[in-house]
Amino acid sequence: MKRKDIVTGILVLLLIASISGFLLAQTFRVAKPRIEKQMKIEEEKLNREIFPEGNDFRADNFKGIKCTSVYDGQDAFIGRIFNLTAPGYGGNILVKAGIDSESRITGIRILEHKETPGLGSRITEASFLDQFRNRDSSTLFLKKDSPRGNIDAITGATISSRAVTDSVRKLQEQINDTDGETP
Amino acid sequence: MNRIFKPESFLKGVWQENPIFFLMLGLCPLLAVSSSLRDAIGMGAAFIFVLTGSNMTVSFIRKLVPEHVRIPVFIIVIATFVTVTDYSLAAFSPQLHKSLGVYLPLMVVNCILLGRAEAFASKNNVINSAFDGLGMGIGFTLAISIIAIIRETLGQGTLMGINVLGKDYVPFLIMIMPPGAFLVIGFLMALKNNIGGKKKC
Repeated sequence: MKRKDIVTGILVLLLIASISGFLLAQTFRVAKPRIEKQMKIEEEKLNREIFPEGNDFRADNFKGIKCTSVYDGQDAFIGRIFNLTAPGYGGNILVKAGIDSESRITGIRILEHKETPGLGSRITEASFLDQFRNRDSSTLFLKKDSPRGNIDAITGATISSRAVTDSVRKLQEQINDTDGETP
Repeated sequence: MNRIFKPESFLKGVWQENPIFFLMLGLCPLLAVSSSLRDAIGMGAAFIFVLTGSNMTVSFIRKLVPEHVRIPVFIIVIATFVTVTDYSLAAFSPQLHKSLGVYLPLMVVNCILLGRAEAFASKNNVINSAFDGLGMGIGFTLAISIIAIIRETLGQGTLMGINVLGKDYVPFLIMIMPPGAFLVIGFLMALKNNIGGKKKC
């Protein structure tokens, strides 16, 4: 290869990379505020799905755990929303769960997961998630794990279903344990 | 050769040189997304868009790029295109962006994109390259949709999430696992070779 070819190669590569970098920077500059706005709307929508009675959602702290406190239309405290991590089949599952002041589940949603498509990924479907509504920790088991259980596991995805169920139950138990103590 | 537009550059991608069944490229995204029809269509739509765009760009700059640096240049073009698409969708159509999920950024490493840039777009004019991208994209979408219809129906008894085989159907679980994808691809490839003429090597 001649010296001239090497120099042209380097120059062309440099040129293309600079154009590409410039385009990416411009796109990012235009898109970023909009993406952030969309994420805020999305977060608000998710909070309302998890806690339909909620009116105002404020970032808060509960015994050192980050959470969102939920207030109703009269500005009275009605519960909290927590983010939790469940060890799933393909990695960690990020779950958002709402718990009212009587420590019943108001709703849960899956934020992120790496479960098997078509099997474990069905934990995001309403037919699975709606089973958690209004449950307290005493019945939050898979039906096949405990006679008290109330949650139907997804066919072929017991590990994913159990991970979500157990993590939500443990969160509730943790909150019940500390609720009696003075803060 | 000097005609500006040749219809075969569009048609060959759809059937004769279908990327999945003939070129056998892009099998890894195929395994991941062909277990449900909804995912397959979403991936296909994003793919048609990115492939057409990257093919046109590569063809547009083809005379500028010396041969020995063409592969890195193609990869930069493809990555830029995918990332710009990703940002734009996130900002302006979050709904679509959410349903495409991880498949959009994953397209950077898709071998059909690089394969078409190298084999077609770097040797043909912009219009033909656009139609090549469109044809290959549609061929890919058709192929993964057909596979997804078979896999989702047999493996879950549903189609687009709606139950089609009745409550008593016991799902044939292997169909939505990776081995099911290989089985379906194998049978379909045999079928295509049988009706579409033998593959010439």
